Amino acid sequence: MPVALDLEIVRQIVGQEFDHATHGPVTAEELIAFARALGETRPEYTEPGPDLIGHPTYCVRYKGRKFYPENLPKVVNVRTGFDAGKDLELGVPVRPGDMIDVRATLHDVYEKTGRSGSMYFVVIRFTMTNQRGEILAVIDNRFMHR
Amino acid sequence: MSPRLRFDDVQEGDDLPQQEFVLSKTQVREYARAGGLWTPRFTDDEGARQEGLPGMITPGNMSLGLLATFLESWAGVGSLRRLGTTFRGLVLPDRTVRLRGTVTQKEGARRTVEVDVWLESDEGERGVIGTATVALS
Repeated sequence: MPVALDLEIVRQIVGQEFDHATHGPVTAEELIAFARALGETRPEYTEPGPDLIGHPTYCVRYKGRKFYPENLPKVVNVRTGFDAGKDLELGVPVRPGDMIDVRATLHDVYEKTGRSGSMYFVVIRFTMTNQRGEILAVIDNRFMHR
Repeated sequence: MSPRLRFDDVQEGDDLPQQEFVLSKTQVREYARAGGLWTPRFTDDEGARQEGLPGMITPGNMSLGLLATFLESWAGVGSLRRLGTTFRGLVLPDRTVRLRGTVTQKEGARRTVEVDVWLESDEGERGVIGTATVALS
């Protein structure tokens, strides 16, 4: 049964930051394990030392504490959603000792109609910075709801 | 830092050297552990079936990561600027996957290229598609 969502109401809360969390400090072991799990062997991603940096997608492992804004209509059920994709803009690399500051914003909500009916897409933007205020990554995560 | 591919050595329409391998359940579990995704759908066939899945699946984040590694294997460490992906279907482990890509556009002022990338099954079905911006030297 498709969800009925009033997009005009939802659009009023688009752009609002709804979560803020800080993770870390990141360890060299965590960066290396992540890179190796992706088949990486290059020293920049896998050898401890001053030149070690995080794999470019390392930041996707971090989230906030809330999945969706509390004022998003309840017809959008987190449990019925599918991860439909991610857009990743990269800043400076993650390094051992970094703290990861994550701010989550409801970036967009839109509807598409396919062969199986209407689908809603909820886009959450995660802006991640380090302890120096440098952007590590901006990640738009699209979730699909039928 | 590993050497980076030269902008002048790349042309629009170039295909990236494809990578083909069996994505094992062991590797998916290693990623789930390292990526903070230790849940049955990514680690355990029976647990995944109880969620209505055909068996354990590959996290979308892992597909994103594999494509990032694929792009930087071609262009060099630190070359990736942007990667956008759409997860179109389930990527099941213990099967052959292919990572492929094509250069679609060169941007001379920034010395960057746009690349279409995708992850496909042994049958050629594209489970993940995307576009990337890569900086060259």
